Amino acid sequence: MPDNTDVLLVIGAMALVVYLTRVSGYLLGLQVRHIGSLRPVLETLPGCALVAILAPAAWRGSVVELVALASVIALMWFTDSVVLASVVGVGILLGADPLSGLFFAWAGFS
Amino acid sequence: MTAITLQKSAWLGAMASRGFFVSTFLFGLLFGAAAAAAGITHWQALLMSATVFSASAQFAALEFWVAPLPLFTILLSVFLVSTRNILLGMSMTHHLDGHSLGRRMLWLALLTDPAVVSTLRLDRPMEKLGYLTGFGLALLVSWILSTMAGFLAASHLAVVNTESLRFAGPLVMATMLMLFARGNGRQLPAWLLSGVIAIVLLESGAPDWMILPLAVLAGASWTLLREASRAR
Repeated sequence: MPDNTDVLLVIGAMALVVYLTRVSGYLLGLQVRHIGSLRPVLETLPGCALVAILAPAAWRGSVVELVALASVIALMWFTDSVVLASVVGVGILLGADPLSGLFFAWAGFS
Repeated sequence: MTAITLQKSAWLGAMASRGFFVSTFLFGLLFGAAAAAAGITHWQALLMSATVFSASAQFAALEFWVAPLPLFTILLSVFLVSTRNILLGMSMTHHLDGHSLGRRMLWLALLTDPAVVSTLRLDRPMEKLGYLTGFGLALLVSWILSTMAGFLAASHLAVVNTESLRFAGPLVMATMLMLFARGNGRQLPAWLLSGVIAIVLLESGAPDWMILPLAVLAGASWTLLREASRAR
């Protein structure tokens, strides 16, 4: 069991690192905001980052994971419902594991 | 058009977050259960969720949660999974004006992917800092409550094969991307380029930490070139 002081130190340092990643991009952006043509570039970044993380995961994904991904994309396209897409997507992932049926029963999804 | 107050914008942000409130709660349940399994006490798990407020960073830290705690390894992995926050912050550059820098620095602590995506797709006048804050606060409440619930229900949740949920993170990203895609069709080529570059780098054996920045750089460069050719 890690020492209590060590745990506090690590949690504090983690919080600081995550916070710095959150503010540093904004502060950096403020330095270049006078360059008008950069605005479309800055606003493209979140989408590029999401795709750059999602694409390799999908590329290496199993059949079940790809079915879940296709379901989420289709549901978002046709319903725009984050709740429905999330529940169905995670349900497909868990449903592929027989043991996880117990989770659905416990959580009241079934 | 009437300007919407900061408080009203915060309320609208909180209301707009309800879809992600549910998915955040699900992840929080799993984090609480995983934290209990890793030997973290309930107050330590709650403290971590309240101050770090990042599913990817907290799950990454759990991978290394053994005594003595490897501070450097934990912080490096936390930083690497959080680098996308730098990009999210940059995208907010033109949207939080009209407030003191101190206030902006305070509330940027609540910056999350869904909050940024939702803020960027707003099509009505809004105090965006308030909206972002309300959205983030609602997700923080969900994250803390679900961490506690997951910790208390750890014995029940132990039946879930968490390996089968390793793809849940990408699914949440897909929901955000689909939200973002509406009304942002012009950005699609840049996104596709980033995805293709990420896969090429993955297949060429590039280190994991290098894939995100290079893929995003490719997409951003494409957008810059497109804007330059338009300006001519």
